[in-house]
Formats: sequence, structure tokens, C-alpha cells
Amino acid sequence: MDLSILVDQFASLTFDGISLGFIYVLIALGYTMVYGVLRLINFANSEVFMIGTFTTILVSTTLFNHTISSNTLTGVKLYYTLAAMLVGSMIVSGLVSVLIEIVAYRRLRSRTTNRLTPLISAIGISIVMAEGIRILTSSAPMGSPRLLEKTILATVWGGDIRLDNVLVIVSGIILLVTLDLFVNKTRLGKGIRAVSMDYDTSRLMGINLNKVISTTFLVGGLGTGAAAFFYITVYEVTRFSIGFELGLAAFTAAVLGGIGNIRGAFAGGIALGLIEMYSSAVFGTQWKSITAFVILVLVLLFKPSGVFGESLQQARV
Amino acid sequence: MNFNLRDAGADFWAKANKWQRYVIALAVIAGLFALPLLQNTFLNTPSTPFVSVLFFPMGIYVLMALGLNVVVGKSGLLDLGYVAFYAVGAYAAGILTTHTSLNIWEILPIGIAAAMFSGLILGAAVLRLRGDYLAIVTLGFGEIIRITALNSSSIGGAMGITNIPNPPTTFGLKFDLDNPQNYYWTILVMIIITVLVIRGLAIRRPGRAWESIRQDEDVAELMGVNTYKYKLWAFVFGAAVGGSAGVLFASKSMFISPNIFTYNVSILILAFVVFGGMGNIWGVIAGAMILSYVPERIRFISEARYLIFGLLLVVMMNLRPDGMLPRKKREKIGEVKGVQSE
Amino acid sequence: MTKNKVVAIATAVAFAAGTVVATAPSASSATTLKIAYQGPLTGPEAQTGTDGIRGVKLALDEYKKTNPKVNVVLFDGGDDQGDDAQGQTVGAGIAADPAVVGVLTAYSGPTIAALPSYKAAGIAIISPSATRASLTDPTSPSFGGPVFHRIVSNDDLQGPALVRVAINGVKNPAVFVVDDQSSYSTGLRDVVMPALGTILAGKDSAAKGITDFSATIAKVKKAKANVVIYTGYYADGAKFLKQLRDKGYKGIYAGGDGVLNSAFPKLAGVKAAEGARLTAPTVPLEVANPKSAAAFKKMFKADPGVYSTEAYDATRMFLQVITAGATTRAEVLAAVKKIKFKNSAGNTLTFQSSGDLSGSGLMNQFAVRKGKIVITGKA
Repeated sequence: MDLSILVDQFASLTFDGISLGFIYVLIALGYTMVYGVLRLINFANSEVFMIGTFTTILVSTTLFNHTISSNTLTGVKLYYTLAAMLVGSMIVSGLVSVLIEIVAYRRLRSRTTNRLTPLISAIGISIVMAEGIRILTSSAPMGSPRLLEKTILATVWGGDIRLDNVLVIVSGIILLVTLDLFVNKTRLGKGIRAVSMDYDTSRLMGINLNKVISTTFLVGGLGTGAAAFFYITVYEVTRFSIGFELGLAAFTAAVLGGIGNIRGAFAGGIALGLIEMYSSAVFGTQWKSITAFVILVLVLLFKPSGVFGESLQQARV
Repeated sequence: MNFNLRDAGADFWAKANKWQRYVIALAVIAGLFALPLLQNTFLNTPSTPFVSVLFFPMGIYVLMALGLNVVVGKSGLLDLGYVAFYAVGAYAAGILTTHTSLNIWEILPIGIAAAMFSGLILGAAVLRLRGDYLAIVTLGFGEIIRITALNSSSIGGAMGITNIPNPPTTFGLKFDLDNPQNYYWTILVMIIITVLVIRGLAIRRPGRAWESIRQDEDVAELMGVNTYKYKLWAFVFGAAVGGSAGVLFASKSMFISPNIFTYNVSILILAFVVFGGMGNIWGVIAGAMILSYVPERIRFISEARYLIFGLLLVVMMNLRPDGMLPRKKREKIGEVKGVQSE
Repeated sequence: MTKNKVVAIATAVAFAAGTVVATAPSASSATTLKIAYQGPLTGPEAQTGTDGIRGVKLALDEYKKTNPKVNVVLFDGGDDQGDDAQGQTVGAGIAADPAVVGVLTAYSGPTIAALPSYKAAGIAIISPSATRASLTDPTSPSFGGPVFHRIVSNDDLQGPALVRVAINGVKNPAVFVVDDQSSYSTGLRDVVMPALGTILAGKDSAAKGITDFSATIAKVKKAKANVVIYTGYYADGAKFLKQLRDKGYKGIYAGGDGVLNSAFPKLAGVKAAEGARLTAPTVPLEVANPKSAAAFKKMFKADPGVYSTEAYDATRMFLQVITAGATTRAEVLAAVKKIKFKNSAGNTLTFQSSGDLSGSGLMNQFAVRKGKIVITGKA
């Protein structure tokens, strides 16, 4: 155990933790919103993320003909290329998310009250997507061209603040604020909150359930697609299997912060990013998952609906 | 769907008299013991001998599915980390056989006890959580067991434990590589015992408590059922069954490592339970048998095996959301004398 | 009801069709022997398996062209995806086929898992790439004798060699070691660390597939390491190297044979990978025997890969003893133990009783130059 590293590298670990945390936050949105509305763990969200990462890379390699050895871009060309990748990823992820809802979950809403059946269906479709991509890519990783130069903007307390991390954080904040406004101020957003609060009464009040649910999946998918773009910008590589590790972490973050709750996703994601960073540095990277889970259990024992959880339903016996 | 196979079977069973039941039960059991004879028929699996497949994956997964069925199917507790108990049993066997002179039969109760203990600890900590929170925490527990095994070089770390001895020759039956059927028969005995115990529990108070917890936990609590205690029972029982499967698996494969005990195994077993019809012993057995046999049989399209498995899950859930042999719509709680009540 | 009926019937038909296909008799005759290749043919390590099995196929093809008395074909199957658990079932399947008289096994973990089956059946193994030292250590529980042999040097040799190559030319080296928690990686790490002794500055274990190495890199920085040794595989090794460079690490980066893969420099970034040093107990086929390499390219329309040479030579070893008259498993095993074989590079090889090659062993070093991996001499 090495506590001194927290002192020595604190700034660096903190920035990296927040940057990673924002990616978790955006993926967590896909889980938390669907759970709020349907009480369903949307397992397939991890594969939506994975598909988003491939989309991001493919946009730059097929639409703009970059290769993995391309030079970085500057100026206007940089902006519109990145924008195209972001938008492409978001749209594809959103659509895939909605498609999943229609294929795997919609029928089950009316046919069974058993909560496990949609879960197994979710897992099934998750497997199908991951395996499909695996076969298409022959299990090989796919690298992304480096289009954004990773310039170091400043060095604060020994920690570098890099351009790509800043991009992730700033864009993440913008997206979250937009989402928060959407959920709180628009009619569709109100519909989502209503269904989250009381499914049956919402139906009785005439809310178009299909529309609300599809919107939820779409919004979750958009957020996940954005996360995929940021992930590629920072890490520049993807593989068919990245869905599981990140999906599990993001879902843990959602529960930690309070599932069904956007602010909870934010808190949980950032917290998890920092926990992982600090525990990896102090205990060794091989212990990071265990630390995260132990903290999750402890939090749930004392605050069963997560740190910011609303008691939408009774979480504790 | 007006024809419910399970209801039809149950009706027939209820109408049959004692002798008819015994004959049928004995015939079925004899048939199961005779399965290794089908080795060289069209049922044969290409890459691995059929008799071997009967033990693993079929027998082992059926046993685990029965255990998970009590937790998930009967009691409604969503456990996504069932592989943990399997791992505990296997590692107990691995560690004890390589460091002590105990043989597998002596280690079996120890492995089961170890698994039960871990189930007790986990359950005590998390069973107050409800529904989906339980899911994520149990999933985490499964990963914790695997990662801890991976990080602990004292129990082999990433390289695992090798040279686990086979069981000693018992009742004249040799347990070496030339006699896979002996392993199969052992696990068949294990499965039969488990089925009898589960049915015994199901018609008595624990079974009724589990059913009430599954249907509506709040009401059960209000009606005076000590839900916490019975949830713990279910959990510990499931852990025991999982642990026993782990011990038997280690004794045949002679080699275990952390990357055998992944989250995918938990999902697989859960899929068997849901596919077969949760809460229903026969459905779960049939579901586990079919779903573990088919991938071995279709190895000729091996590249896409897992993909087809996923597809099967989605299709099955959409076509038959309550599983192949869903539970009865109305539960019959009969007298203890022997009328089944699942 | 109708829909369910349709599904049921469709499933039954598919099943029946599959049955017919699968039970179609395979074209093996009494005098046909089989050589099996157990390795990752699908899955994340598929490239290594593909490179290896092509070496086997090339050797078998050349053998066929000599119109031999005994037919030798490749066993159909053997894909273990580099996974220990699968290695065991695959090994059992290979051992169960009576026509198989020899096996090549690719990865150490699955080899160990499959050993019980091979030992019980008495099938000779000549591995082109399984480098874990315990396989030839009689005191180890994973000892592969009497069936296991390998045509490569083991990690006991690679560990110190990797250290030498990594610190070569570095003043006051401070070495940080990272593994990926796979059985191969921890095995190599366990040999590297004693060889480092006091110049070890720190270590970390980052599980395979991990996304973010920031914490590891923070430790590297705190330890002020100027040499980093990564003992895992190329995909994560490339990720790690890229992130190291992005965070301003300017020191040496070195890896073992798991990192040796033509995709490594591209994935890490050409600039980042420049100068990376690798060790491996393999010789590229183009260097060992340009004629065989040309034949390889012609047959597969692809370049020879990592361990293609060794797989090719191992198969030729089996073919040599079969040509000399060994046709049963016992005969092949006995003959392999006594073999004198001239490999592609022209060296004469014999085996020790432990299963390792006699002699001091071969270890080469490689470097990444301008996005390509080139051999730079002996390590």
C-alpha cells in the first residue's frame, strides 16, 4: 500500500479521475434513465457504447479518409471532423438504443410481469451485438487516427491538463446541463419524470407510453454515443469487448449515485472515476474493481438508494 | 398457449397411484443412468466424447441451475454472481487436495461448507437490499471472488492450481480419464439428492415462505414471515449446491484458474433458469440440459456459437416469456404426505 | 400456438440438418495419420494461432508433394482461443482421436490444462511457442514430461534476456514492470523481477482489457523510472505505450514475445512506438530460410508471422520421424525424444530429457523502427 503516491501525484490522479469519470457519467445516463422509467437494467447499453466507439472511428476513416497514421488536424477542419464524429456516434448509438428497445423489450412489457425476462432478453441482445462485432472485426482491436493533438494546456500542481481531457469535461458538462433542462423543462421530459414516478397512473393520465419510453432510450443512447466519442478522443482504440468493463463500471456509478436520477449519475460517475484512480495508485491497479464494489456495498448498506437517490420505490426491506 | 406441458404432466402425476409413480420414477432414473450408452449415436458431440459432455457441461450446469433456481426462481432473489460459490467450491477442492492428503469425497462437505459460509456472509450483508440493487451487488461479489483469486499468488494467482488429483477408486469404480461415466453417475446422484431435498423443502415451510417472498415481500413480512431468515436460507442453500458443483468440477478437470469463473458463467446459469421456467425444477433441468448440450453439438459452426446462444435467449424470451415449462398459474399446496406443490 | 409450432419445427429441422452434416463420415483411411495444432484460431489471440497453423500447413503440404507412403493430415479442430479452460476440452478431444500421433500446442496455459489428456494418451507434444518454464521443470506440478517438448527457449531464458535488452545503454536504470494478470504475463514477470534485483523501481498489475493506465503511469512517474517493461500482450501493450508517451514519458519501453505482433506499432502510434525493444525466442521465417518464406507467401498470400518458423519446424520434426517409420503414438514419442533435426536456419536440434532443446537456447531481440518490427540480433 502506497499512500505517498496520493501526495506526490494528487493533481494528476484527480484530473485523470474526473476525465474518466465524465465518460462513466455519460454511459451511466443510458442505464439510469431507462431504469427510472422501466425499472429495467438496460444491459445492452454497454454494447451501444461499443458500437458508438466503432462508429466514431469509422466516420473518420470512411467519411474523411483518415488512416491510423494520419497527421493531426487544426482549425476549421479539426472542428468539423470532430463534430461529425460526435454527431455520427450519437445518432447511431441513439438509433441502436431505440432499436434494442423495440426488438428486445417492447413485446415483453405487455406479455409478462416477470422482471427477469426482459433482463435475460437484454443480456441476450448484448451478447448478439458483442459477438456480431467480434466476428466482423476478427476480435482485433481497431485503432483511431489521432486527429486532435494532445497538447498540454497547463500544468497545475504537477498534474498536466491536456486538451482532450478538457474537451471531455467541458462537453460533458454542456451535455448534462442540456439533458437536465430537457427533463425538467420540456413536455416530453415531464412525461419521462411522470412515468418514472408512477407508471400506472401515467398511463391512466393519457401519457403516450411508447413515445416516452422510446425517447428515454433515445436520450440514453445519445448520451452513450457522446461518451463513445470522448472515449475514442482520449484513448484512440476500441475492441468488441470494451462494452463489459465500462458498462459494469458505469452501472456501478449509476447505482452509487442514486439510480433513476440524472444528478445521481453525475455524482456517481465522478466519484467512481476518482475512486478507481486513487485506489489503483494506492493499492495497485489489480484492486481497483474490488475497491469500487466494496465501496458500493458500504454505501448501499447505509444509504440504500444511493448517495443522491430519491426514494422512488422502497429500496430496503 | 392453451397446452401447458407442465400442467399436463402435473395432472397426470396427481392422478397416478403410488405404484405407477414409483415405476415411472425408477424408469426415468434408470434411463438417466443409462445415458452414457448413447455415446456413439447421432447424439454424439464432435470434439469431446459424449459421456464427458454429460458430466461437464451438462451435469455440472444442471446442478448449478437447480441451486440458482431456489434463489432466483423460487424466492425471487436476483443473483447475478452465482459463479462465486462455484469458484469457492472448486478452489476449496484445489487448495485442500494439493496441500493436504484429503481426498475429494472428504473435501466435498468441506467445500460445500465453505461455499455456504461465503453465501452466509454475502447474504447477511446484502439481503436487506431489494431487487435490482441486489443484482448489482451480487454481480460485484462474483467479480470480487474472481479478482481476489487472480491477485492471490498463494492460491496460484493467474496460473491457477494444477494437478488436482482425481477421486480415489470407490466401490470399485475408477475415476480416471478412461472412465468419464463414473463422474457422470456421481453427479447424477448429486442431482437426484438435490432434487429430493429441494422438493422436501418446497412443500414445507421454507418453500411456502420462499413463494410468498417471491410474490410480494411486503405482504409476506406483514403476514409474519421472517423474510430475512428465509432469504438467507435460500441463498445459503443455493451456495451449497454451487459449491458442490465446484468441487466435482475441480476433481475431474484437474486444473482450475480464475478465468474459468467469470461473470459469463453466472449469466449462463441464470439463462438456464429463466429459459427453463423459473421455480419449476423439471423445466430448469430440461432447460439446462438442452442449452448446455446444444453448443457442444453444434461445434461445427463454432465461431458463431455464442452469438447463436444470445439470439436464442432473445427469441425464447420474446416467444415464451415465462420459460419453457412455466409454473402453474395456481399453486397447489397439498398435504405433506407427498402431493407435490410447486 | 401456430408461431410456436413454426419455431419448434424450424428448430427440429435445423437440428436434424446439423446432425446429418456433423455425422457425415470424414475422409480418413487406415494409413492416414494426423497432426494436431492446439492454439487460438479464433478469439483475441487468433493472429498467433493463425500464424502457427499456417506453418504446420506449409510443412504438411510440402510433405504431401513428396508422395509419401504414409498420409499425414491436419486434425480438424484444436481451437482453444488461448483460453486455459478451453484448452482442457480441446485437449481431451484431440487425445480421443486415435489417428492423432503428434500435437503442437501454442499457449502455455491451455497446454498445461490439456496435459492430463495428452499424458494419459501418450501423445508427443512439440510446442512452437509455449514458453512457461515450469513445463520442463520436473519439480513443478505443471511438468509436461514425458510427452512435452518445445522447439523454443523458455521464459527462464527470456526473462534475463528481456532485462538485458531493456537496460542496454541506459545509465542508472530504474525499471518499472507491468503485467496484465494473465498466466503468461505473470509467469514472465516472475522471471524478470529476480533478474532485475535492485534496479527494480516498482511494479503494477493492470488486468487485460483495462481502459485507462493513468494510475499505473502515475506510479511510473513517482518511481522516476526510465525503463518500463511490459510482460503482457500486444493489444494492451500498445494502449499502455501510447498513454505513457502522451503523459510525457520519455524513457525506454520493452516487452516480451507477447507484444511481438505486426499490429503493435500502429496501435501504439508510430511516433510513440519508435525505439520500443522486444525479445522473443523466435526467428522470422524470412531471416531463417528465405525459400520457405517465399513458399509460405505463395501458399497463403500473406507474410509469415510470429512463430510460423517454429511451427513449421516442429511439424517437420514429426514428419521426419514418421518418414523414418514411426506410426503409432508410442513410436512417435520415442523417436521424437531421440531426434536429431536440422531446422530452417540450418542448426541441428536435439532434446534434453526435460523436453527443452539441448544447448544454450535461442533468444532474439527486436526493435520498432518507423512502424515496423525488425530483428536486431541475439538477446
